[in-house]
Amino acid sequence: MKPRVCILRTDGTNCDQEAAYAFEKCGAVTELVHVNQLRDRDVKLQDFQIMVIPGGFSYGDDVHSGKVLAVELISLFREELSDFVSRNKLVLGICNGFQVLVRTGLLPDADPGKIKVTLMDNDSGRFECRWVNMRVQKSPCVFTEGMEGATVSYQAAHGEGKFFAEPDVLKDLEARGLVVLRYVDRFGSETMSYPQNPNGSLNAIAGLCDPSGRIFGLMPHPERYVDHTQHPLWRRKNGADPDGLFVFKNAVRYAANI
Amino acid sequence: MSIQEIRVCIKPGLPDARGEEVLAEVRSALPIATLEQVRTAKVYRFEGISPEEAGTLAENLLAESVFQTYTVNQPIITDADWLIEVAYKPGVMNPEAASLVKAAGDLGLNTLTAADSSWEYAFYGRLSTNELDLITRRLLVNDTVQHIVTRPPETLVISGESNPTRIIPIREMDDGELLALSKDRLFLSLEEMRLIQQYFRDTGRDPTDCEIEILAQTWSEHCVHKTFKARVVVNGVEKKPFLKRLQEATEQINHPLVLSAFVDNSGVMDFYDGWAVCGKVETHNSPSAIEPYGGAATGSGGVFRDVMGTGQGAKVIASTDMFCFGPPDLPWEDIPPGCLHPRYLLRRVVAGVRDYGNRMGIPTNNGSLHFHRDFRAKPTVIVGSYGLLPRDKATKGEPREGDLIIAIGGRTGRDGIHGATFSSAAMTERTISVNAQAVQIGHPIEEKRMHDVILMARDEGLIQAITDCGAGGFASAVGEMGADIGALIALDRVPLKYSGLAPWEILLSESQERMVVAVAPQHEREFIDLCTRYNVEATVLGTFTGDGRFRAMFDGRKVMDLGMDFLHDGLPQRVMPARWEPKAQAEPPSAVVDDWMGMFSGVLGHLNVCSKEPIVRVYDHGVQGSNALPPFNGVDGDAPNDSAVLTPLLGKPYGMVIGHGLNPVLNRIDPYWGTLWAATEAVSNLVAVGANPDEIMLIDNFIWPVPDEEMMGALDRAVDACTDFSVRMGMPFISGKDSLSSTYRTSDGQVIQIPPVVCVSAFGRIADVRRTVSSDFKGAGTRLLLLGQRDLAGMGGSTFYDLLGYLGQRSPQVDLDVLRRVFAALYRQIQAGRVLSCHDISEGGLGAALAEMSFGGAVGAKIAIPSDVLPEQFLFNETPGCFVLEVDSALRGDDLFPEVPWLELGQTTPRPVLNAVSGGRELFNIALADLKQSWQKPMNGVFGE
Repeated sequence: MKPRVCILRTDGTNCDQEAAYAFEKCGAVTELVHVNQLRDRDVKLQDFQIMVIPGGFSYGDDVHSGKVLAVELISLFREELSDFVSRNKLVLGICNGFQVLVRTGLLPDADPGKIKVTLMDNDSGRFECRWVNMRVQKSPCVFTEGMEGATVSYQAAHGEGKFFAEPDVLKDLEARGLVVLRYVDRFGSETMSYPQNPNGSLNAIAGLCDPSGRIFGLMPHPERYVDHTQHPLWRRKNGADPDGLFVFKNAVRYAANI
Repeated sequence: MSIQEIRVCIKPGLPDARGEEVLAEVRSALPIATLEQVRTAKVYRFEGISPEEAGTLAENLLAESVFQTYTVNQPIITDADWLIEVAYKPGVMNPEAASLVKAAGDLGLNTLTAADSSWEYAFYGRLSTNELDLITRRLLVNDTVQHIVTRPPETLVISGESNPTRIIPIREMDDGELLALSKDRLFLSLEEMRLIQQYFRDTGRDPTDCEIEILAQTWSEHCVHKTFKARVVVNGVEKKPFLKRLQEATEQINHPLVLSAFVDNSGVMDFYDGWAVCGKVETHNSPSAIEPYGGAATGSGGVFRDVMGTGQGAKVIASTDMFCFGPPDLPWEDIPPGCLHPRYLLRRVVAGVRDYGNRMGIPTNNGSLHFHRDFRAKPTVIVGSYGLLPRDKATKGEPREGDLIIAIGGRTGRDGIHGATFSSAAMTERTISVNAQAVQIGHPIEEKRMHDVILMARDEGLIQAITDCGAGGFASAVGEMGADIGALIALDRVPLKYSGLAPWEILLSESQERMVVAVAPQHEREFIDLCTRYNVEATVLGTFTGDGRFRAMFDGRKVMDLGMDFLHDGLPQRVMPARWEPKAQAEPPSAVVDDWMGMFSGVLGHLNVCSKEPIVRVYDHGVQGSNALPPFNGVDGDAPNDSAVLTPLLGKPYGMVIGHGLNPVLNRIDPYWGTLWAATEAVSNLVAVGANPDEIMLIDNFIWPVPDEEMMGALDRAVDACTDFSVRMGMPFISGKDSLSSTYRTSDGQVIQIPPVVCVSAFGRIADVRRTVSSDFKGAGTRLLLLGQRDLAGMGGSTFYDLLGYLGQRSPQVDLDVLRRVFAALYRQIQAGRVLSCHDISEGGLGAALAEMSFGGAVGAKIAIPSDVLPEQFLFNETPGCFVLEVDSALRGDDLFPEVPWLELGQTTPRPVLNAVSGGRELFNIALADLKQSWQKPMNGVFGE
């Protein structure tokens, strides 16, 4: 059976259609669900195997990026979310979705309401859109299974993407192997230098998962690179699989067995 | 009820990006050396909750303890030398306020009545009060919309009593009184005022303020385009109106792909698989001149709504931006009184376009930037928007008798009142203070909600007709939709941002993010429910009537009753004289360039040639996942391409190609050749990447000084160039706009005429984006060709001449017959896969094109300049319609281009240098790294690296 993906949108979400396209391309059935439909009980989260919070500017990113949606989810759907993740289902947050996941506490510890890490203003002080390289780390992440050690290239497009946590929290994340992606330079080494690390993220962290590996958030956009011609240098490349595809393929494969 | 104040700041020791940016700006833009640090704090104010509840908000919404601290009703930064709080003025909508109220509600705080937010800036270092004042006035506060908070507000709720509808005793007025009524408010001529007077004398009553205001608005140059519809007498010979010439050219071409030209909110072209694409380009010069952030943002918002309001609704898939400013390093004493500094304007305009497009999720992936001293009094800000819609929903809808008039989107405030009439008036020193109401801040999330709901309603078949509320607000939107049948609306039903608006203000308000939809009565419930579900407010204002009148009620009283025919056709066609004589311009003395390195670097570092990458990077040009050719690529991601190639239908190979051309300085020499340059450049940008020249549509924008005889003559030539190009190339104009107010008058009578600008935008389709090329060199040892016919003697208006300090007498001329064949030949070879890379030659000439292609490939080039031409002309001539091509070394120009002009240039080299030989002598051998540095320096200086 094809897994069902809830692409959760709200006012200001704007990467929902490309996220849906990426999942459909990998064999899933997607539904764009506005948070009001959850509020009205027209749609139930339980009917899906995967929930995606796509990129955009939910509620204008007022106060903090993703904050108003995070408050809405925690205030109104805390139990549904806990229930969803406890049933071994998958959650993916891309860009604004990653910001929402850390602000709900779903990352790093699937603990709704408990904010341990954050995404701050880029060190450059501005929104930036550019392609970045990342190295896939050894982690329990379901979405990157089989890709450990690979270098992948995605577009980053955000103004608040600097990963930040207190030193002890950071150490703990590293010790538990929850870092999924790190920004690397052209030689493949983890980097703190701009613009290869586009926002000044500590430990060059670009993506993070929870200990189960089923909740995954990242700043750059894998859904913008699932077709060959989406890469800026496709005219120089051979026909290898676009770097974003494995994220969605892995998710669909895993979810088919839930 | 008292106000609770919460202040949030970033923990000491962590980077405060906002503060650091202000510090960097002060250091780079102002003569202040003693400032050491800037910190910022966000201030939130809430009315209707207790201090304890404010604490709950701070903990759960406003401050994140991982990196922030907060205080309730206490200062937070206490050790600064100076502390300044900057807030929006009361009545200017703060887009964040609604989110604060919503989130508080989700947290269970339902007694909250109002919320606001602002920023505190803390300055550290020895600053005088004068220096502080300079920082505040030049960098932090635009007093059109913002103010410094000296005393906390007593309430956040804005209210007021509305003025009753007034009767204007126009029938008894003499000419002096008519003019006094018009001045600064209606901007109509005495003749037009007399016509209105006569109408009401005939009607036998005096008009209401609503009626006077709607007539002024509908008859404004901005809305009715009096000049473009006027009969023109050029040097004594009568010619057809400009608009008619453009439209007739399009009819003559009769292009099979045109679905809608000049009738809808944008022009529509057939695409593939039952889909259509559309385009619209607008200017927002006047608002951007006085509040650049809000002006540019709402310019984008407006042109997006034009696309959204095309057919029965279109999805916005791309945004473009073309700006003309004074040089960013212009000395302050050269800035005319009442004008803002170009550096500030540039940064804030870019920020406005960035925030609106990014938040709406619309990729901004094509644009350009032009600098000329004479834009210092008023910038030109052009924004474009492109859309996708089903072919069977692409025809402009007509409301039927009995259809409901439904307003959707944002609420109505006092924003932008008199925007239409104001943008038709020449700018003066008084403009900033008198017309401040004409500017506002945009709310892109409101528009995004509306965008999404429109597409759903369209697909459900609920929309009969739709248009946006732009200049003139409901007056214009409902007036135009109901022009043929009549409309009746109740102004008291309009949802307001705050009480206190008079009926005429509700009618004319230009509050953003509003549209009007004609919905059949049987769909009313379904349509409104759909809107409500997605947080879009929808209100039935009235009906389309069938009586041919435009009537408005307020509290049961009639406040307007005008014949649609008088409103729309009451204005007699003008007859406007035009005169054109070529102007004598000096040519530089012929001089031999001896410092080639310096000259080459100078051309690449010229403001009109230099890299604009820092601007493109702040736009989300990849959202929607549709980019098959981004604005910049190449091995280091820093080489510019000629146009954007999009795949708006994900998973399909169908491409939409978008580009444009403009070069204002050429219009100073001769608007005919300047305009032909713009059109040729627009299309060359498309064909350079692989667009099919047989499937291209054009959009015109004329931005002109207030037309006197001479400027009418210039306009006449520009329009002729457009129609000549269009007809002979077989590329129809399907949308266009004119803005004829680029004149600035100072109080001492000095007049600054902004250079006349013609921007030609072009869009086309291509069946398979895999048959497109980028501009970056693909390898070393490949062959370089120059394609096209160059007018080497036409150096006037070139960057090269500008560096010599001359404008020149003769701008480059284009042979349209040759051009047609060049386009066709290039298209054929790109389709055949024989072109590795291609770049169109524009500002900076062949030299700049070669350099940019080399930057992209990180390889060098070695070229031979023919011995019978002047090297400086060969390298820096800017004739449009010419291309640099990279092909495999085994391919020969003779075989590829047997029927069009081409030249062998040389080849690419592994060494990253540009090398030129002329007559057996090496002219130069320049390292690419040095050139790149010169080329990137100017905009890095404005926007930071």
